Amino acid sequence: MKLALTVNGARRDVDVPPNATLLSVLRDDLALTGTRYGCGRGQCGACFVIADGRAVASCLLTADQAARMEITTVEGLARGEDLHPVQRAFAEEDAMQCGYCTSGMLISAAALLARDPSPDEVAIRDALAGNLCRCGVYGRAVRAVQRAAS
Amino acid sequence: MWDRSDPERLEQRIRLERDGTVTAFSGKIDFGQGIRTAFAQLVADELDVPIDRVHVVLGDTAQVPFDFGTFGSHSIAQETPRLRKAAAFARRQLLERASAKLRVPVDRLDTDRGTVVERGDRRIPYADLLNGTPLTGAVPDQLPLMPDSRRRYVGQPLPRIEARDIVTGRATFVADVRLPGMLRGAIVRPPGRGAKLRSLNDEAARKMPGVVAVIREGNVVGVVAEREEQARAAAAAVEAEWHLVPVEGPSADVPMRSDAGVDRALARASLRLAQTYVLPPIANAPIGPSAAVADVRPDGATMYVGTHRPFGVREQVAKTVGLPEDTVRVLPQITSGSYGRNSHPDAAIEAAILSKGAGRPVLLQWTREEEFAWSPSRPEALLEVTAGLDPDGRILAWKYDEHTNVHTAAGLDPQVLSVTSGRNAIPPYGPFAAKVTLHLEPTRLRTANFRSLAAAENVFAIESFMDELAAASGQEPLAFRLRHIEDPRFRRVVERVAERSGWSGGTMPARHGRGIACTVYHDTYVAQVAEVEVTMSGQVRLLNVWCVVDPGQTVNPDGVRNQIEGGIQQSASWTLLEELRHRDGRVVTTGWDAYPIATFNDAPAKIEVLVEGDATRPPTGVGEPGAVPTAAAIANAVYAACGARVRQLPLTRERVRKATATG
Ligand code: FES
Ligand code: FES
Repeated sequence: MKLALTVNGARRDVDVPPNATLLSVLRDDLALTGTRYGCGRGQCGACFVIADGRAVASCLLTADQAARMEITTVEGLARGEDLHPVQRAFAEEDAMQCGYCTSGMLISAAALLARDPSPDEVAIRDALAGNLCRCGVYGRAVRAVQRAAS
Repeated sequence: MWDRSDPERLEQRIRLERDGTVTAFSGKIDFGQGIRTAFAQLVADELDVPIDRVHVVLGDTAQVPFDFGTFGSHSIAQETPRLRKAAAFARRQLLERASAKLRVPVDRLDTDRGTVVERGDRRIPYADLLNGTPLTGAVPDQLPLMPDSRRRYVGQPLPRIEARDIVTGRATFVADVRLPGMLRGAIVRPPGRGAKLRSLNDEAARKMPGVVAVIREGNVVGVVAEREEQARAAAAAVEAEWHLVPVEGPSADVPMRSDAGVDRALARASLRLAQTYVLPPIANAPIGPSAAVADVRPDGATMYVGTHRPFGVREQVAKTVGLPEDTVRVLPQITSGSYGRNSHPDAAIEAAILSKGAGRPVLLQWTREEEFAWSPSRPEALLEVTAGLDPDGRILAWKYDEHTNVHTAAGLDPQVLSVTSGRNAIPPYGPFAAKVTLHLEPTRLRTANFRSLAAAENVFAIESFMDELAAASGQEPLAFRLRHIEDPRFRRVVERVAERSGWSGGTMPARHGRGIACTVYHDTYVAQVAEVEVTMSGQVRLLNVWCVVDPGQTVNPDGVRNQIEGGIQQSASWTLLEELRHRDGRVVTTGWDAYPIATFNDAPAKIEVLVEGDATRPPTGVGEPGAVPTAAAIANAVYAACGARVRQLPLTRERVRKATATG
């Protein structure tokens, strides 16, 4: 089916199977591979994008549903070469190891800071609780979000 | 055992480019442990160039020297002196070339950030010394190295080189590789491991939208299609009949240490204690499931994979698709951390079969379900330990029987088994007589490499038992350990972690407790203190962890901290939450709901890691040791908090409650 998506501020026209998820359309049709596949069931956070201001699992949205929303992916966080504060903070705190979970964490963190510019630690942990990291960078990620907030 | 014998060639290690940048080559792989950055630091210092001019190529079989693989942290430690010497040799050649060109003796020349300088003022950029003649030659074994005072990068905490690509989403993980004409694959899975294909009906599948081919080779059946959704739908529509053949792992008994007089000493000990510890199988469970891209042509193949051993993949792929090895190029990509999982290139082999069958490049992305069901897991372990103390409370004798399964595909040679499945089974304490035996038991589960192999299991048993011995003989657990530590470096990390955590001072709130555990893992010394709270219902909350580590000379202290923190966090997850369910050799776990791991809400408030490397000792690995003592530190803390001694992982609420009741 033909759809018009709004991704990272731009209109993108695609022609995809009716059951295609937003995740597969981002990765396979729009070459936005920064959004990652982890579980396909909304359980890991690797595929999170911001949809109308909220961090959501793009593996659970159909592209059709997403066509009615404003989507921001990790590629859309920076303004040109200017990194988003959470991106800068994650790099500065070295809040990553393999980096596979990082896009999803950045999305959750950016969505959090957009609605609450100075969250406390509990709010940060809650907002990122849907992002699993097997490498165990949780402590650094909390510090990175704190740094981005200040 | 894993060393190459050929002399090192400079041109295989370091290449000076025409623009003055430097390319360094290594067969090692960075899977999050930061070695790309560490290697760049080493080379930049030794060759005296700014670090942003150093480009590190890892694992590309067409470019790097042969390498057996990145197994365990120690193989990285072996690599650093090789790169360092090659860079030093390159610098010496540049000085010699400059000396010839300027007609001044070498000792009047020095280097400064990418240029040769003559005392006085003449300067020649390295690139100008190239003249179309690359730097080559056998790297001498002995040659002077940069003094520490002139090393600018080594020892500095530097952010990872890949950090910017990762935070912008630009980093190309294996599943992000896109090739012209690339198809998507999906495998038709049998009902069990080792099943043989009896019959196949793919008529319906072939007609489904987007399907390019259904491919069968031996017992591998897969579909390739234009889109992933299409490949999966068609794979589900393939009707395959299978013949189940039960597979069972090997068995073996390996005596690892057999001092004389152990049984006699145990018989006359004034205090004797015997306990059994149990660990379940657990999953490597990378956040990104296995993936591979294969481009197999009649005259050669290119593989984009996540692997610890690119040359091993090259060999296996070449054999699978029937190509000479030198026509297969393996290009390791940045990959989801896999903690040992990638030692088995399952997805690469399958992708190669599909690509060969389709005659086009194929991306194969395993699903989460496939990752749980078809990956090897860390084997279970049952550890029986008996020790006897003399009247003074010192250990006289120690008997240890480790029952487990294979931890690697490295083979059943007793020497190999004792350093893989038997890793860290010999206690780091002394002096006493010990008998340590590894019993490899058959299992239908597929088991293989996971961070630190058997060390995490053995150290859970040994360090829990040390606490139990201390308690049984009325001794303080820290002091009891120190009485049995002879190595001064080991002593130091244990004393330092006690200091940092305020081990001997202050009182704890009710139901809070601290536990200590320590080990020596491949010459890395590590000691940890964990602080927990145990609720009335038996729920364990990890509050804080302190860790002191001595990995010898330290290239990038923040990289070390990051690795150790991650090891502790992951190990805390194993300890408190993880158990892989299986039946008849089949893993029944399919998703994160059935296999919870630690989340942001489970992470302790603080993990404090002090890197106190002995700079006079060669660097040792840090990717694994952090994960090794954590389970025992937590279990010992639970005991201190509520008197519950839990000898079986994970430390679930039920187990803790039951152990509290039985005291
Ligand atoms: S892939 Fe969407 S939540 Fe895991
Ligand atoms: S950094 Fe590897 S999964 Fe989070």
